[in-house]
Amino acid sequence: MNYWGRRISGALLVLALVLVLNFLLFRLMPGDPVASIVDPRFSPEAKEQLRKMYGLDRPLPVQFALYVKSTLTFDFGISFLTGLPVAQELRSRVPNTVILLGTSLLLSAALGTWLGMKAALRRGSLLERCVLWSGALSFSFPSFFVQLLLLMFFASMIPLFPLRGTLSVPPPAGGPALLFDYLRHMALPVFSLVLLGFGGWAIYVRNLTVKILGEDFILLARARGLPRKNILRGHVFRTMLPPLLTIFLLSLPSVVSGAVITETVFSLHGVGRFLLEAVTGHDYPAAGAAFFLLSLLTVTCNLLSDLLYGITDPRVRLERGNR
Amino acid sequence: MKRPIAFALVLAFVCLLSGSARGAAGNFDAESYASPKIRDLYLVIIRDPDAQLLALQRGQADILGDLHRPVDVDTLADDPRVNLSLASGFHGFFLGFNVRSFPWNRLELRQAAWQSLPRERIVRDLFAGYAEPLSTFLPPVSPYYEPNVATYPFDPDAARKRLADAGWTWGTDGVLISPEGERIPDQRLLSPTASVAPTSAELAARAADALSVIGIPVRSEPMDFSTMLSRLDERNFQMYVLAWQMTRDPDSLYALYSSKMDIPGGYNIPGISDPELDAVLDRLRFAPDAMTALDAASDAQKKLAELAPVAPIYSRYTISAVRRDWKGTLVTDRTTADNLWSLLSMEPAAGPMRPLYLVQGEEPRALNPFTSSSGYDWQVLTLIYDALIAIDPYTLETIPWLAKSWTVTTRIRDDGPHTVLTFHLRDNVRWQDGKPMTAEDAAFTYEYLRKNMVPRYFDNVDNIEKIETPDPLTLVVTMKNTSFWHLHRVGGIPVLPRHIVEKVEDWRSWLPASLKHPEDGSLTQLVGTGPFVFREYRAGEYVHLTANDAFWLGRRR
Amino acid sequence: MRHLLARWSFWCLLLLVLTALFGGRLFDAPPEREVAAAFSKPLWIERDLPPTKEFRLSADTPSLRFDWRYAPPSRLSLRIDPSVGQTGRFVEWRKPGAPEPLHLAPLRGGFEADGRDIAFKRSLGLPPFGDAAASLFSERGSYELALSGEGGFEGEVVLKLEGGRWGLLGTDQRGRDVAALFVAGVRVSLIVGIFATLLATFLGTSFGLAAGYLGGWIDGLLMRIVDLLLSIPLLPVLMALAALWGKGLWQLVLILSVFSWMGTARTVRALVLTLRDAPYIEGLRGLGAPPGYILRKHLLPETLPVLLATMTLGVPGAILSEAGLSFLGLSDPRVISWGRMLHEAHSFGAFTAGAWWMLLPPGLGIALLCLVFLDLGKFLEERVDPRLRKGVRS
Repeated sequence: MNYWGRRISGALLVLALVLVLNFLLFRLMPGDPVASIVDPRFSPEAKEQLRKMYGLDRPLPVQFALYVKSTLTFDFGISFLTGLPVAQELRSRVPNTVILLGTSLLLSAALGTWLGMKAALRRGSLLERCVLWSGALSFSFPSFFVQLLLLMFFASMIPLFPLRGTLSVPPPAGGPALLFDYLRHMALPVFSLVLLGFGGWAIYVRNLTVKILGEDFILLARARGLPRKNILRGHVFRTMLPPLLTIFLLSLPSVVSGAVITETVFSLHGVGRFLLEAVTGHDYPAAGAAFFLLSLLTVTCNLLSDLLYGITDPRVRLERGNR
Repeated sequence: MKRPIAFALVLAFVCLLSGSARGAAGNFDAESYASPKIRDLYLVIIRDPDAQLLALQRGQADILGDLHRPVDVDTLADDPRVNLSLASGFHGFFLGFNVRSFPWNRLELRQAAWQSLPRERIVRDLFAGYAEPLSTFLPPVSPYYEPNVATYPFDPDAARKRLADAGWTWGTDGVLISPEGERIPDQRLLSPTASVAPTSAELAARAADALSVIGIPVRSEPMDFSTMLSRLDERNFQMYVLAWQMTRDPDSLYALYSSKMDIPGGYNIPGISDPELDAVLDRLRFAPDAMTALDAASDAQKKLAELAPVAPIYSRYTISAVRRDWKGTLVTDRTTADNLWSLLSMEPAAGPMRPLYLVQGEEPRALNPFTSSSGYDWQVLTLIYDALIAIDPYTLETIPWLAKSWTVTTRIRDDGPHTVLTFHLRDNVRWQDGKPMTAEDAAFTYEYLRKNMVPRYFDNVDNIEKIETPDPLTLVVTMKNTSFWHLHRVGGIPVLPRHIVEKVEDWRSWLPASLKHPEDGSLTQLVGTGPFVFREYRAGEYVHLTANDAFWLGRRR
Repeated sequence: MRHLLARWSFWCLLLLVLTALFGGRLFDAPPEREVAAAFSKPLWIERDLPPTKEFRLSADTPSLRFDWRYAPPSRLSLRIDPSVGQTGRFVEWRKPGAPEPLHLAPLRGGFEADGRDIAFKRSLGLPPFGDAAASLFSERGSYELALSGEGGFEGEVVLKLEGGRWGLLGTDQRGRDVAALFVAGVRVSLIVGIFATLLATFLGTSFGLAAGYLGGWIDGLLMRIVDLLLSIPLLPVLMALAALWGKGLWQLVLILSVFSWMGTARTVRALVLTLRDAPYIEGLRGLGAPPGYILRKHLLPETLPVLLATMTLGVPGAILSEAGLSFLGLSDPRVISWGRMLHEAHSFGAFTAGAWWMLLPPGLGIALLCLVFLDLGKFLEERVDPRLRKGVRS
């Protein structure tokens, strides 16, 4: 419990520091939203009114206190750019991003794991070489490049898939038709992300499987005459699971950051695009909220993966003892 | 760049710009229009310009209001399914000087700088020709445009001669030396960064090069936009480039060039201070009637051309595209195809009625008439709300809208002259929920804006002294001072429904598009008197509006 | 060493490094200079498009007749020498089989017109979106450029026609040579990739060694910092910092390295922890060896193989991060990188113009560079851990 207690309190400390950093980062950025208003009909008095409306005239410590309060209650305040509550903006976007990223992450992990294991089992074969090459290719191509090429292909050659958005205009009525329309729109983005994502998984799993297969306990199991399938399922896969889960959890935050590009290319209404616009538009409440949520996600994933690591890796357990 | 406020937009959304040919049909008859022919209007949100083009070409979109990439224009110009139209406007891009100190306090240097800018070449290289080189302080499309002003066409040799005649010399390094022997210090030209505004940054670089040719050592300095604006506000700069979206009323010249506006937060960034100019601008700002206004505007432009506090460079054209399978579009050289009159009269060229799809490049967000600041919000809101006056799409003159007539008089009282605006409203106007519109609604709207000091309308209502409604169809607004522009400022405010707004708790966080109408379940609280009824806003995808069959235009009762 | 030389990625890397160092010399103009019309196609496709030609009229040659056997030029410009002065005459254009010549421009010194000018289009009777060049060269045949009226004149009239083709990879939306930009981009990608990773490895190793060996509060503090930095989402911070600072290649390298040393630190620390209690290390400690000596002479060399492999594998990550940032438009526009080229291609309409020569080379270039480093990294990894080598059946 002491170990877990320390880990959790460490995570909370990190979150607190992130809060402070978030606040400072955007306050340090030059200019404020009112300064960007260049309109001869906006008199200096009108600008002052606007500044008051945004609460920018209050002293920094007061702004910080308000910021902490609103963040911890998930209130996040009102966006400077749109005047809407940030929570509402996020609410309409989070589902799209979650579905996009969740689906593609799961699919690429599944595909990558399957291919990686197959490749590790058939060492030196054509399959292994194919998997390694396709994995490397999938990792090396920049995401926006592949997505742009896909768009070009499906735009000019095969008009099978829609090129933008999550729904047709107007969306078809009725549950199943609506769902199908949504899936049709998400197909290309998800496909591109899986194409780009399975590579890293395949290579990692292949390396990991090779390492495990070389371990003594596998040799022992074989010597005992256990059938191959049992070895695979029972011993290899089970040993692989903790690091896989760890990597899965750790890759989640970085995949979210990558959503920015996908949402830009496919014009999807998601959190990534929102973050980009908020940061470039000096929209403190919105950018701060997106930042904080991402940090929260990252901290949580790190914590979970650490805990998982702590449970499974004996060296770490020993280390706990030494301290 | 922030778009102008409500008032300017109610007017501006109809008008666009235009250079050469003055409005053709001076006999535009708004009364010949009626409620929209189309049943459904979808504003489809497509951010990516390539996707916009594809949607238009495939028939998934029908109107594209603003094409800004030359490659898009060229592609569509060759497409037989699409009609392109061009309109010029009130956009103006300027090179500014800090007139307060050396070297830009020297008039001949500013004039020489003006002469060294290759506008045509810039327009050609940066916009593939799709912009208008600008050499005046009001664009040619403005009703107050004065053509007989001093100009300084591109001629570096003449620029050098002008300087030499005034006693300037050139040092061995090619840098200019003033008649008093002072060498021009290295100049920095502030501009936005290329990531934010690529053409502005490039233009600044070219301007710097052009000025260096005649001996002014300039280098462009791209920086974060709000930092740049802070520097301009602190008056900590030497030169800058900036774009303005000017408006139909020339009194913006007062805000830009009067010495009284050389204050923190004020827009007299160059710091020009000339008593004659100030007098003319005062006359312009407080002109009591149309004649004085025209006269003062003309004098102001002449004086500004002489003083050259900034050098205009270009004005954007707006190019729009409409598919040929629709007819009834109204296109003038001052308005693009997606104006209100088009939307009222468009119908399919053949076949049954179908929805009209208009492309919008960004999302409207709050759809709150009090706080909405972007042109994308107002694209929607101007279809829903009306103001007392509207603008002729050919001549840009004021035409009756909710107010069928008005008078502008000056009442002299003990404390000075006051402008009095009297509006006579139509009697057949109904809100989209069926209730009749009266002068009470307009009075309530102005009073509400004034009482709550709503920033967007601050300058519109700040000068209102008293509002009276002697009868349900007459509105009398007494201003605190005299100015011809009060008519446009007040008359251009969208009229909001009293019976809805008086129940709003906090106008700042009011989201009428997501709140149900208290009585009519099929409507939201976003109801106006306008030709289109708001139905749905699906974030990230589209805005859906339907025709208001009870629209007051073209109806007897 | 023999194994290294046998790998394709080594030679590829060598070629790329040489290109980065000396490639600029292949071109006369710097990459930012405008060399031809926008979106010109590469020379080796569409032979139908005309080459660039210039026609000059002077006192000796007041008229020129020529055969035009190509598609219309993509750009035309007309320039009249200032010394021509004021005449009352016009520059005339006669199309094949046309009875009357067309007035192209007044013969006035200093006159300049370009096919893109709307005023010029209007003078030809074209709508503002028309194609002046296509209208003037509407068919193949015999054309004549001449002057109206009689008499001599000073100076010359130059009609410059630009074909729609240029160079190995055509031009971009500003008329810049894509091949030159591509070569310039090699340098940026290599610099960002290598130096960011080098710096990150250096930081990670130092911190990892310190944390692992010294332990105690130093370890605790460093690991807290690692956790903190790991919890901050990378792309948003990069976006914010790019907006704040962003200008310049080395700032980007610094930012990227500051946010990628954590993985290395953790690996090194874990390694040091296991080695720290090894017998021979304990022995050294017993003999009185100072920590610095142990770290330098023994622990560091142990970590080197792993580090080398990790570093090589980290380079693609840095390159892809830079490409991603540039694509979103957040990098310094004066720095020509492949990501930036893709960003400009995307925002300025290469897609719509069908200019695949702007899109494919940078993207394939990034992929190639990443593949090269991945392969080298795999090679190094296999040297460290022989089990990973191919051909050894388990």
